[in-house]
Amino acid sequence: MAAHAKAGRPSGFNRIGAGEKALRYALLLLVLALTVSPFLWQLSTSLKSLDEDIYSRTPSFLPEHPTLANYAEVARTIPVWSYAVNSLVVAVIVVAGNAVGATVAGYALAKLRFRGAKLLLGLFLATLVLPGEVTIVSQYVTVRGLGLADTLLGVALPGAIGMLNVLLMRTAFQAIPPEMDEAAVIDGATVWQRLLHIGLPNVRGMLSVITIFAFIGAWDDFLWPLIVLTDPANYTLTVGLQYLNGTFIANPRLIAAGTMISFVPIVIVFAALQRFFFRGVEEGAIKG
Amino acid sequence: MRRYWAGLALAATTAVAGCGLGEADQGSAAAPSANLAGEVKGRVSLQTWALKPKFTDYMQGVISAFEKKYPGVKVEWLDQPGDGYSDKVLSQAASGTLPDVTNLPPDFALPLVKQGMLLDVSQADPKLSDEYVAGGLDAYTYAGFQGVYGYPWYLNTDVNYWNSELMTKYGLDPKKPPATFDELVAQARTLKGKSGGKVYLMSRRPELGDLAEAGIPLMSDDGAKFTFNTPEAAALLDKYRDAFKEGLLPRDVLTDTYSGNAQLFNEGTAAWTTGGGNYITSLATDNPTLAPKVVPSKDMGVPPLYVQGLSVSKRTKNAPAAIALARWVTSAENQAAFAHLVSIFPSTKASANDPYFSKSDGTNAGDAKVIAFASLAEAKMLQPVVVTDAMSKFVRQQFALAISGDISSKQALDAAVAKCDELLKN
Repeated sequence: MAAHAKAGRPSGFNRIGAGEKALRYALLLLVLALTVSPFLWQLSTSLKSLDEDIYSRTPSFLPEHPTLANYAEVARTIPVWSYAVNSLVVAVIVVAGNAVGATVAGYALAKLRFRGAKLLLGLFLATLVLPGEVTIVSQYVTVRGLGLADTLLGVALPGAIGMLNVLLMRTAFQAIPPEMDEAAVIDGATVWQRLLHIGLPNVRGMLSVITIFAFIGAWDDFLWPLIVLTDPANYTLTVGLQYLNGTFIANPRLIAAGTMISFVPIVIVFAALQRFFFRGVEEGAIKG
Repeated sequence: MRRYWAGLALAATTAVAGCGLGEADQGSAAAPSANLAGEVKGRVSLQTWALKPKFTDYMQGVISAFEKKYPGVKVEWLDQPGDGYSDKVLSQAASGTLPDVTNLPPDFALPLVKQGMLLDVSQADPKLSDEYVAGGLDAYTYAGFQGVYGYPWYLNTDVNYWNSELMTKYGLDPKKPPATFDELVAQARTLKGKSGGKVYLMSRRPELGDLAEAGIPLMSDDGAKFTFNTPEAAALLDKYRDAFKEGLLPRDVLTDTYSGNAQLFNEGTAAWTTGGGNYITSLATDNPTLAPKVVPSKDMGVPPLYVQGLSVSKRTKNAPAAIALARWVTSAENQAAFAHLVSIFPSTKASANDPYFSKSDGTNAGDAKVIAFASLAEAKMLQPVVVTDAMSKFVRQQFALAISGDISSKQALDAAVAKCDELLKN
């Protein structure tokens, strides 16, 4: 829909001089270096062999004797794959919960009129104010009461519908002109039909944004799974990787290798969804 | 910050738990503690802190020997990851799932003692002080609470570590490292001059522990108020201020970009750091080329004492087995075996004459072990357990102001003491 409006037209507004172009690229490269260098340092640390110094005055990014032994050692020390599967289970539940739950709730808050809608929205906002640490113990007591302590479902459940995601979806649905809904109502469409055929196609971008947020949130969370899970066999990757950081022995090469292993899936998810992600970020105007 | 919130949440939920949200046995906190005498059998749980996978074999060995000694007892061993341990323990305590025997350092045990969740082991074990060193037991006694709330497990202390290569290169003799603060400043001056300011000797900002290390009492004997605003403390801060002004310390030592003296030592920017008896061994993993150049020496003042211990839950359903297990893991033989694996030191009196700790194998790591073991005799817990993160932060800010010369040392100390007293009352 939007594609043919932009395609192939020379943009008069965006014409810039060579000097300014160079400056822009220089600034972009600088920011890129700043954001990427910690990752590169971790990557290079994970590839260094045991006879190389990790900490030095001038960090060296190229390992002298590159080795994959650290990755093998991580896999030998802890059951990386089963931890990754546990993380994936949690992430899938959280992503599914958010994609469905936040969409439905956001649609209801944006488009449906019902008694107490304002109050409900206020309550949603109020829960955002509390820092997670304050509620974490009572949350644990609740999850335990449900009999879900030490299960992956117990880890995933509290994050399965993020209040912030509901608000984001509500905003996205609100941007759809009410006339479209009214026209559909006249045509005899039910609420579900309007959600599926008018709402959803217009909020795909925001949906991918919350998918990515939910995935990263579930994948990276450390404190909550640590508290819920007791049996090491149930640990998620972030918790399990902590075993590399023992009381007396902490090999930074192994920790870096573990970090890289847990980082890769996030890159994959983002790469797969980034097309939609950037559409979602700039969403706001609805193109008919 | 994390711990602060978690502590708050613990207090909140224990209040809530009384209203029926928690476990049924939650309300029994006031009830007389579990039956101590009895046969050692049944299930008992043990929780350690970040010992897997390095010490898995050792712990399994200790546990199976215990199960062999007491047939009919079954130990469930849980090892928690290093990060977030305090949060994990607090949530376990709040939900009534604290294991029977838990590895708790004295400061982590304090909130549980306050909530009446730990067993006074001196009641179960009147001969405690015959078997464990006084410093270890003192760590588990708390001002305002009668009793001892944990069996001391392994101990450690700090040793000075010097980069002999940097010292030799810049005109210092690594065989004669500074033994007092004044010598430290003098040698730092030499090093700075010869290296053109590229390398530092001193790279540590003073904190409460450094005052205690210099022999300044931080708190009154009854633990009711702070007392570190003495002229001696002011004189020490003055020395730091002069050294800072002279450029003997890195400029960023007072700010939050300061990465810590161990980090600067590893990078070769600083030639001195302090660390536990096992520091050289872990350095050999991080920076293999630096480790052989490190020379250890004794701490300059009162060496700090670091204690780990095993506490027994007051709500344990199997007190006889829990106490027997805690005693077993902290026994002289089992601790000695642990100390042979890593440079830590047993808290049992019987281990004092073990030649293993007083004889070096000739390596610098072995020397450090011997120095650390000798220091333990005079080591003390430098920082009181009641010192919270908020207190430390305020003290750090005041010290930073004094060292940068914005306020006098006396003013800084008075303000720090006043604030800490106020926070202590809350």
